[in-house]
Amino acid sequence: MITCTGCALLCEDIEVIIENNSVKETRNACRRGAARIKGCVNRMVPSIDQKPVDIDISLKKAIQILKNAKAPMLFGFGNSTNEAQKKAIQLAKKINAALDDTSSFCQGHLIEKVLHNKFRTCSLDEIRNKADVLVYWGSDAQDSQPRHLSRFSYFPRGELRQRGYEEDRLAIAIDVRESNTAKICKGHFYRIPLKGDREFILALMDALSGKVPTYDPKKMLELAAILKKAEFGVIFAGIGLTYSIKDDIDILVALSDKLPNFHIMPMVGHYNMRGFNENLFNETGFVNRVKFSEGKTIHDDKYSIVEALKENTVDALLVVGSDPVSSLPRSIISHLASIPVICIDPCVTMTSKIAIVNIPCAVSGIESSGTAIRMDGKVVELKKAMASNYPDDENVLKRLLEVI
Amino acid sequence: MGMDIGKFLKSPEHEIKITTYRDIFQIEALERDRFGEDYRKLSACIVIGKNDMQKMGIKDRDRVLISNKYGSVVVDVKESKKEEPGGVAFMVNSPWSNALVSDVTGGKGIPEFKEIIAKISLTKEEITSIESLRV
Repeated sequence: MITCTGCALLCEDIEVIIENNSVKETRNACRRGAARIKGCVNRMVPSIDQKPVDIDISLKKAIQILKNAKAPMLFGFGNSTNEAQKKAIQLAKKINAALDDTSSFCQGHLIEKVLHNKFRTCSLDEIRNKADVLVYWGSDAQDSQPRHLSRFSYFPRGELRQRGYEEDRLAIAIDVRESNTAKICKGHFYRIPLKGDREFILALMDALSGKVPTYDPKKMLELAAILKKAEFGVIFAGIGLTYSIKDDIDILVALSDKLPNFHIMPMVGHYNMRGFNENLFNETGFVNRVKFSEGKTIHDDKYSIVEALKENTVDALLVVGSDPVSSLPRSIISHLASIPVICIDPCVTMTSKIAIVNIPCAVSGIESSGTAIRMDGKVVELKKAMASNYPDDENVLKRLLEVI
Repeated sequence: MGMDIGKFLKSPEHEIKITTYRDIFQIEALERDRFGEDYRKLSACIVIGKNDMQKMGIKDRDRVLISNKYGSVVVDVKESKKEEPGGVAFMVNSPWSNALVSDVTGGKGIPEFKEIIAKISLTKEEITSIESLRV
């Protein structure tokens, strides 16, 4: 039995059948998880200037680049264990680097609110046992966290919800698109216009306060009535919602204040994005976008990966377990062509194809062990299922840290 | 022999608003091989509602050029299987959609992934390769 690192649900009930040091079959995993566990077809090889070298030589070159950089940045870590993330924080401190992760342009703002206790949240196990009203807002869990509804929210039996979805639970979807999750919420799909979430929240708050909302009053009053009756409600805040209200995240806090029986859970994608946020928060009081300078931590939007690349403020980039060339707008990443990029990853990525130095690592949770933090904050153990020819990213970062 | 005048005529351009989404089959293909044919087929496409397609004179499986001042991509059209209210088309989050995302962030570090404004027109060009979407 292993833990799946396909997404931040970190499903711990995965069986794998291994033959000749490769995964032949997985059981219980979703499509996303099974594909992650079976692995990529194009494993990375150590290289410098895209020419294969011994891994020790690629490590030496990485050390040289980081030593010579005046404004280095470390980025990624959503697919790294807690232990690797802590090493990355130490390394960033040691070389006075900027440090950011994928939550910077994803769910970072919401996780920051959770860690500052700005709204009520809860565990996935509490949801399974108690939740009766589930609101998927800008979240297509069926595609992004495929076992969310079946393991924790809508379908399972729970301590107080013995009749599950048939009678005890109600699922609602609020989205721009009729997603696969919205299809399950039959009769309770509220379609909103593109970037209409703020207006929807304001109208819902009016309806909850007994005022007649200006926006679709009939539907808003109907929804408010359902939410008011909830004994244990949860809003699953997806990236669609977060992006739409990114300039006014506090509006979600205000909505939460109007719904005393509700909890808010940011729907995290990468398996240990929340881990990075918590590990950095415990160390510095910030979840991302920091720069270390002679023992001090500076937090500023200009240390986000997006702004740093846009404004050309970094002169070397170490990327761990992430593919910014694929996941960031092309209009922003052109600066990457002019600086040395070091890539640590199990697989060939778009970023590794432009990197000066590539250092392959083991796949965490399959070829190496460690711990990670589930989307609800629970620490989960990752067990090694088979051997790898390469060190895990924790050990690569440890070696960089020791030599630098 | 008559000259094919059609090839010199530019297809009409239509303004289009695009939002991005996630698709489990595309994510599965990404995990397996981000440079493979499956990932390309599931990423290099745009889903449009039937009514919007009719208005623009575009059919299912047509090939289109989508462009704005940030970039351009050639992708296949898929007709939405659902009743769409119209006005918005959908692209799965990928390097193809990211080629069209604005660099305007207001200094806040979060690009506008969910609202892409672009022009769309029929084309006979090849689908944009992932290799050409690198920096």
